[in-house]
Amino acid sequence: MTMEMPDLLESPETQLSERFDRSWLVIVHNDPVNLMSYVSMVFRRVFGWNRERAEKHMMEVHHKGRSIVWSGEREKAELYVQQLHGFLLLATLEQATG
Amino acid sequence: MSSNSTASSCWQRWNRQQVNPVIFEISPSGQPRFSRIHPLLAELLRATTLDPWEHFPEGCARLLPPPGTDEELCADWQDHVQPELRLHFDSERAVVEADLALMKKGRGKNAFFSLEIPLDHADAWLTTLNALRLALVGDHGLTEEDLSRNVEPDLSSPRGLALMQVNLYAFMQECLIRAVGFPDGE
Repeated sequence: MTMEMPDLLESPETQLSERFDRSWLVIVHNDPVNLMSYVSMVFRRVFGWNRERAEKHMMEVHHKGRSIVWSGEREKAELYVQQLHGFLLLATLEQATG
Repeated sequence: MSSNSTASSCWQRWNRQQVNPVIFEISPSGQPRFSRIHPLLAELLRATTLDPWEHFPEGCARLLPPPGTDEELCADWQDHVQPELRLHFDSERAVVEADLALMKKGRGKNAFFSLEIPLDHADAWLTTLNALRLALVGDHGLTEEDLSRNVEPDLSSPRGLALMQVNLYAFMQECLIRAVGFPDGE
């Protein structure tokens, strides 16, 4: 099974390291209350993304119900989920399969 | 997710119908400022300082969601992370409460209020407004359909008043998000 992964990686070094660590996924789920502009803002704050990338993931959450926003080692994934919960986004941590 | 335009359009329509609608602007010192706030809206704003766990217990489950389905992780989260998050929400609400204490009232019996929010308090406001919106929606069982319905809420019912609050806070969130901006000039 192939899984669509977000384009998260900034450099070849990061890509290589990320591939070895890619075992946990941070997923943001849709909810009817959070504003679209708010979700984009939170993505930019937490992940340091530019507007285009933040909106791309926000729209994925809006239309598909969820978006994988980060993948990597468990400890860091937990920290991201905690940060996203701090902004009241519905985020979960899942172990990648395959 | 709630569309920005839908979430606050009902409130904005209500606002425009008022003889003196609320004005949002950036003050000369660069701080977000709401002015011409009707006394009723000032009361709704003061409600942002209510502890959601005390006043909207039915809606608070959403404020501290589980991090997944793994039982061990969820138990660990409940013991260690959720208490920290709750403290974080409490401290953000305390910032909002301090700002609201400085809300100014004009002269006269039915005078309007004005509120200036220090830009570095915007995150505290955004989090607090969001927490209260989520708690109100859960507590009153408001549906996605309720939130997207572009009609004036029935203010004589607690549910209608809650919807009005949710929409007002959405409007304030939008204003603050615009005010915060980002380093790349957006």
